[in-house]
Amino acid sequence: MKGNFFISLRLFFERRRQSVIATLGVVIGTAAFIVMSSMVNGFQKYFLEEALNINGHVKIFVESTFREDRILRKVYKEGVFLVLGAKPKSVKDRISNYREILSKYAKDENVLGITLHLVGNGVISYGVKEKPATFVGIFPELEDKTLRISKYLVKNNLGQLERNKEAVILGIKLAEELGIKDIGKKVVLVSPNGTLHRLKVVDLLKTGITEIDKSRVYLHIKKLQDILGKPNEVNEVILKLKSADLAPVYAKRFTKETGYRAESWQESFKNFLSIFKIQKIITRSVVFAILLVSGFGIFNIIMMTVLEKKRDIAILKAMGYEKRDIILIFSLQGIIIGVFGGLAGNFLSYGILEWLETIKIEVEGIIRAEGFLLDRSISYHLQGFIFAVLVSFLASFYPAYRASRFHPVEVFRSGS
Amino acid sequence: MGADTVLKAENIKKLIGNYEILKGINFSVKKGEFVSIVGASGSGKSTLLYILGLLDTPTEGKIFLENKEVDFSQEKKLATLRNRKFGFIFQFHYLIPEFTALENVMIPMLKAGVDSKRAKEKAEYLLERLGLKDKILRKPYQLSGGEQQRVAIARALANDPLLLLADEPTGNLDSLNTQKVMEIFQELNSEGTTIVMVTHERELTRMTHRVVEIKDGEIVEETTLV
Repeated sequence: MKGNFFISLRLFFERRRQSVIATLGVVIGTAAFIVMSSMVNGFQKYFLEEALNINGHVKIFVESTFREDRILRKVYKEGVFLVLGAKPKSVKDRISNYREILSKYAKDENVLGITLHLVGNGVISYGVKEKPATFVGIFPELEDKTLRISKYLVKNNLGQLERNKEAVILGIKLAEELGIKDIGKKVVLVSPNGTLHRLKVVDLLKTGITEIDKSRVYLHIKKLQDILGKPNEVNEVILKLKSADLAPVYAKRFTKETGYRAESWQESFKNFLSIFKIQKIITRSVVFAILLVSGFGIFNIIMMTVLEKKRDIAILKAMGYEKRDIILIFSLQGIIIGVFGGLAGNFLSYGILEWLETIKIEVEGIIRAEGFLLDRSISYHLQGFIFAVLVSFLASFYPAYRASRFHPVEVFRSGS
Repeated sequence: MGADTVLKAENIKKLIGNYEILKGINFSVKKGEFVSIVGASGSGKSTLLYILGLLDTPTEGKIFLENKEVDFSQEKKLATLRNRKFGFIFQFHYLIPEFTALENVMIPMLKAGVDSKRAKEKAEYLLERLGLKDKILRKPYQLSGGEQQRVAIARALANDPLLLLADEPTGNLDSLNTQKVMEIFQELNSEGTTIVMVTHERELTRMTHRVVEIKDGEIVEETTLV
């Protein structure tokens, strides 16, 4: 083993040009893997973290159960499927036993917090500008205890909702679209039944998630109950759990136990999660392609080395080196390339990520940020290193195996 | 089989395709002997040497090394025997070009598990003995043909082999270097090293104890000179 390692190392350093070229491929592959993983996962993690902070893990709400074929289904069971043009029946959109839900689930060891919402749609206007918005009536203290809403407020004025029932918090993007640059302005909320309500903007909500910042309006639940004409009504119960992974199980349980529809965040963000999945597949494919190319580079270089070194392999065998030793000598070269390439790739990616963090650019899409959202987890560095060594080893194994099959006598006879 | 017989070949046959290269060779080497095998090109002398050195397998026949039959089915054992019991010298030096003379000599010792410090010391001693003291850190391309062959001899001696097998060791050298190599062989032999040398140069056989002549895969003459 000592001899094999010695020969391998010497061959690596003595055949500098080939070694550098092979290692460069691995460096690029490793760095690409780490940087891309960090960027893609950084974006996804940021989105999910912020979205979950604001929306909670499970939402209990009243589901519109209207189906056009419901009457006929009742009579004929599975015989008939659809009646066109049936008149929709209005469903009472409220959770009547929310107090019971609150007290029951607050005791659950996996429930970190519960908050109540009254949600309704309407229009908000400022001067001549009007924008559709989602009004969310909250109990400010309960909301902040359960979800970390104050973290996202520009002026940290959540308490004002409690003190001043005429106060309102606007999503920052919505405020921008209305032309509101700062707090203190008066806006008009137009309820679905047409009533107008003048409220004062006391803070702006900046989550970074465009969809939320563009549509959400927070006000005290009592005020919204007045505006919507739904006194003491609640139509959403939001739960925060100890672990986000528990959400599907708890959602199922809540649906069964409360009689209302409970939706986990995984279900709510189904579309985003599938986009993220595709994004990850694409990233992995690109990185895989890069590593495959560098793998082929290593394969070619080691194969060339093996063919060039037939005589040396033959004499090593004559001196007592076994097939296993020959495989080790050339595989070790692959591993050395992988180790050096993996380490250098790690340093390179670290530099690139440091540099990316300093770049200030406005990013606006699903999320809004002022630079690259990077996940600087050490696990990507470890994974990158492991991939580099693995790919290099696999790429060198076949040439090494081929080398081990050379028969010394054939080489000596050919005089090569 | 005598106690001083280090290597014995019994009825060795070698077929390559339909062509019978060796036709039942019986041959033995005693400890301390210097035997030369001569013959024309294609007579089978190198094939015999490869089989004697456990580099090739006979189609038929047996090899006894220190009175023990060699099992050709056990590759690992064969490799160990080659490493510990034999030293090979070929017409071409077959030195590894990336390594220095010193490192080339160290390689068989490292395989044998010798500590690298000890291997280095021994390699230095062997190279010094062969007149290469000031060239130990040179790479093969920085040495002359004769020097390269002397490094190859040092490498063959690295594990104190039972037997030195040389296949046309002077085939690539001028007369001066040929003379030097033969003197080294004689000196080694006088110190107790057993040598089997394959050559087509009849005049070199005068320096050996016994000459075995092969023709068309058969031993046709065996002459003891000393």
